[in-house]
Amino acid sequence: MSNAYLTYAAKRLGQAVVVILLAYIFTFVVVSILPGDPVTSVLRNPQNGFTEEEIAEIIAAQGLDKPIIVQLWNALSGFLTGDLGMSMRSNRPVSTLIAEVLPSTLILASAGLAVALVLAMLVAYGTRFVPKKYGQGLLRGFPSLFLSVPNFVIGLMLIHIFGFQLGLFRVINPDSFWATLFAAIALGIPVSAQIAEVLIANLDREAEQEYAAVARSRGIGQARLFATHLLKPASLPVVTVVALTIGELLGGSLITETVFGRTGIGSLVQRSVSTQDLPVLQAVVSLGAVVFVLVNLIADLLYPLLDPRVKIIGGRKRSPTTADETAIGATKAVTP
Amino acid sequence: MSFVSNARSRSLGSGGLLAGFHVPATVALSLLIVAIVLAWSVLPGLFTSYSPVVGVPADKLLGPSALHWFGTDHLGRDVYARVVYGTASSVSSALIAVVIGVVVGGLIGLISGFLGGWVDVVFARLVDVLLAIPKFLLAVIVVTAIGFETINAAIATGVSAVAIFARVTRAEVIKTRQATFVEAAYLSGGSRWFILWRHVLPNASRSVLPLAVLQFGESILVIASLAFLGYGDPPPASDWGLLISIGKDYLKWPWLVYAPAFVTILTVLSVNRISRWLRKTD
Repeated sequence: MSNAYLTYAAKRLGQAVVVILLAYIFTFVVVSILPGDPVTSVLRNPQNGFTEEEIAEIIAAQGLDKPIIVQLWNALSGFLTGDLGMSMRSNRPVSTLIAEVLPSTLILASAGLAVALVLAMLVAYGTRFVPKKYGQGLLRGFPSLFLSVPNFVIGLMLIHIFGFQLGLFRVINPDSFWATLFAAIALGIPVSAQIAEVLIANLDREAEQEYAAVARSRGIGQARLFATHLLKPASLPVVTVVALTIGELLGGSLITETVFGRTGIGSLVQRSVSTQDLPVLQAVVSLGAVVFVLVNLIADLLYPLLDPRVKIIGGRKRSPTTADETAIGATKAVTP
Repeated sequence: MSFVSNARSRSLGSGGLLAGFHVPATVALSLLIVAIVLAWSVLPGLFTSYSPVVGVPADKLLGPSALHWFGTDHLGRDVYARVVYGTASSVSSALIAVVIGVVVGGLIGLISGFLGGWVDVVFARLVDVLLAIPKFLLAVIVVTAIGFETINAAIATGVSAVAIFARVTRAEVIKTRQATFVEAAYLSGGSRWFILWRHVLPNASRSVLPLAVLQFGESILVIASLAFLGYGDPPPASDWGLLISIGKDYLKWPWLVYAPAFVTILTVLSVNRISRWLRKTD
């Protein structure tokens, strides 16, 4: 563990903390510019049957009568101490609401990631073994096809074919094994496209390196070249790409949960959007940012330890492989 | 990539220019599909004689046939007509989203890359924040904040695309700023803004174009997702995402889902192919 690495780690950690705080403030600002006054429209809704005194009490308890900057300060200090406030709708702590539905979403998201990884590896590694004559081009076309299909369409197709036609699972029982598996497939397919694109590009680049040419001239077979020379250098950068797809997994699970009728963070967001339950939305969105930032921090700190080609110079990561390009590639900007 | 410092050097290799316009068959097909979709959005009446709103109740839930290419829905409306008439809203909102992303993100990237210093630091943190919030969640809270309408869904999608355009533009600007010809322009007395306008912007825009095209495809998907969740215009609007959302309640008549889904996928696939081709010919 070198000095340079520690400096780099400290710098990245500081950056992550700043970004998380700013993300919280940003969401707070977006959520509080809501037109109209959702607070009183929820509270004064006759269906909820609050009396005037109760309304005044709730407003005082939530601190909604204070200036916006004081509200922000209170919310932020609560956030830092793990207090996410009270739901406006159900009058329960937001953290309880989230904790109730989190396991279901975690199962879905991790299953989705597993599907994405397996599929991406099958497609990308497959391009090394399927000859051009027998459909390598088809295999290479998969990522862009997967990127073009909205995940709710994949979900509906799976429900239609495997649920309705083949009767493998019932939509009314969304937590069964098959239903969860198909939800994970719907979630994982678009994510796999990003991973596969980067993997394919890396494999192509490594195959053109001089060491690969030397290995080939020694008469090494395609399979051994792949296994002993290409696999590792091409696959390592995927760590950073997977970290970047976390946002996609979180956002995608929102739609997948709706399609498959699952209860989870996504359905919580849906409900809070329709009832304008701002504290819940604020909490979910900023927690999403926390997860994304932390996962990427871990990936960035882990990567120099995994890949000896990455050198840290002056507190910055420098890599002879185009690490920046892979990062952008994952956000679909540049596909080499 | 290669630099283009002004119009003259671009026209120097006219042979190269022609070679650059060699169009592969799949790209030609993609361009054709996008052209048809654009025509649908401008002149929907030319492509179907059915009404997208008024149906014939006796003809409800008919399968695809020569009369009704994509079948009919639960109110006896022609699904093909619904798709064609929904195109304008789906396509124009994706365009709005891209324009917001390119203009706002491009400006941020241009300014922070060109000025550097504390401006760069401030914008870099803003971009970090926008990247940190999961894109779709960001779009959802923005559209919640400004109201459920297709135009607002477009704005929300645009906001969620700002960060990536800012990143790419900034990187391109910094790359160009260090080029020899920019140094030469400085030495021959060019002002900062002249150089920004004349040399930096054209070079940066060359890699922003394929990204914008790609983002157009992605915006179609994001807006369709928002419409699917009911955050766009309510029925009888017939945005592609909304059509699929309505169709999901009639899975026994699967063309109600598959027809609009097929059009969406084909459009996005074509747009992505064009973007890829633009990047290659660059």
